[in-house]
Amino acid sequence: MMYELVDVKLLYGQRVALSIPAMLIGKGERVALMGPNGSGKTSLLKLMDGLIGPSEGRVLLEGKTVVKPAPARPRSVYLHQYPYLLSGTVAYNVGFGCRALGMDAREIRRRAEEAIALLGLEGMEGRTNRALSGGEAQRVALARAMATGAEILLLDEPSASADTASVALIAEAIRRCSEAGTTVVFSTHDEDFTRALEGRRVRLNAGRIENDEGGAA
Amino acid sequence: MREAFTLLISGDAETWGIVARSVRFSFLSTIFSLLPGVPLGVALAVGKFPGKRIAVSVVNAMTAVPTVVIGLAAYSLISRSGPMGKFGWLFAQAGVVMGQPLLALPVVVSLSYTGLAKLDPRFHETLTTLGTKPLLRLLITLREARSVLIAAAVAAFGRVTGEVGVSMMLGGNIRHLTRTMTTAIALDAAKGDFERAISLGLVLLVIALGVNLALHFLTASGA
Repeated sequence: MMYELVDVKLLYGQRVALSIPAMLIGKGERVALMGPNGSGKTSLLKLMDGLIGPSEGRVLLEGKTVVKPAPARPRSVYLHQYPYLLSGTVAYNVGFGCRALGMDAREIRRRAEEAIALLGLEGMEGRTNRALSGGEAQRVALARAMATGAEILLLDEPSASADTASVALIAEAIRRCSEAGTTVVFSTHDEDFTRALEGRRVRLNAGRIENDEGGAA
Repeated sequence: MREAFTLLISGDAETWGIVARSVRFSFLSTIFSLLPGVPLGVALAVGKFPGKRIAVSVVNAMTAVPTVVIGLAAYSLISRSGPMGKFGWLFAQAGVVMGQPLLALPVVVSLSYTGLAKLDPRFHETLTTLGTKPLLRLLITLREARSVLIAAAVAAFGRVTGEVGVSMMLGGNIRHLTRTMTTAIALDAAKGDFERAISLGLVLLVIALGVNLALHFLTASGA
């Protein structure tokens, strides 16, 4: 099992943001987290990435407690609903994740070109972060995450600010990564997007799992 | 006033020598305040440690300490009987360049901290999730906050250019050696030599205006 959540509780002050007695996610699974605003989707994704720690319980990745920065594989990348792009061009941003991992310039360029093509960003390489629409920025950030070759993608509403054409590109890119063995967990309100990706659906409500279609726990 | 302009336009060697020395001292002092100041600002902004709030308050309070107090503290360090007396920095250019950064340091730390603390939390999370190593993280953080850091440098330059206490106490206002615009103005005005005092005052005014305009545009452009 890739992820194992055991008696996880996340408290914000007195409020219980998440309470998950058990949840398993297998390697290569495609999981859609659904539910209303404030149901705990973003918190769950951040817990799985190690950006925040649980107040109680354990989040295990291949049997080891998740911590960031993760010293060992499998490596996860979390993508914000409104992603942060660094000051600079699309090419710079897409290649940055590879640079952060210490890859050489040639490898960075090769991976960035692949990711740019996958997300339909050709011709935009020289545009700066400030000149991008919300949907374009989302695709750039997704390309940046995918270029790193992360084994796990944790995507917070990846289609939220994208137009119809961008949504199709994002869904196709996620599908391809998933088919190549990447574990993908994403939150969404978009039923069509979830249907297009045909995976497991976990419905959250007030921090608790209300329904898990196809889940291991 | 006409004589003051004449001094400047005629290229009076002593007047422009004082200006050049002041700018050189200020430039070096700014560099020496940025070297420790920016990393300290980064540490305050991104570090989590006990007493952080107190540290921030102390730094902010230090920006308002009068220059003569800083001068007195530095004087006690480099005076002949002080712990650094053996270096012979008192009444030497090294003394001024050693003392002025103490004035600018709190300004640099405070402005760097304020600017860096305002960086979007998503920025830090993005670097973390991508597994960015500490050195690259520091470089990218400085790059993202570059306009704030340039503003800190400009403010530091303005602070040391306009000060008189440290230059006077540590430099001794020695002609052709440690005399700066501010110490020269103080001396010339006391002697009744208002032409040079006014001419240097005009240059100081232009520098102060330039620094403030630069600050305005840099802070307006955002981090």
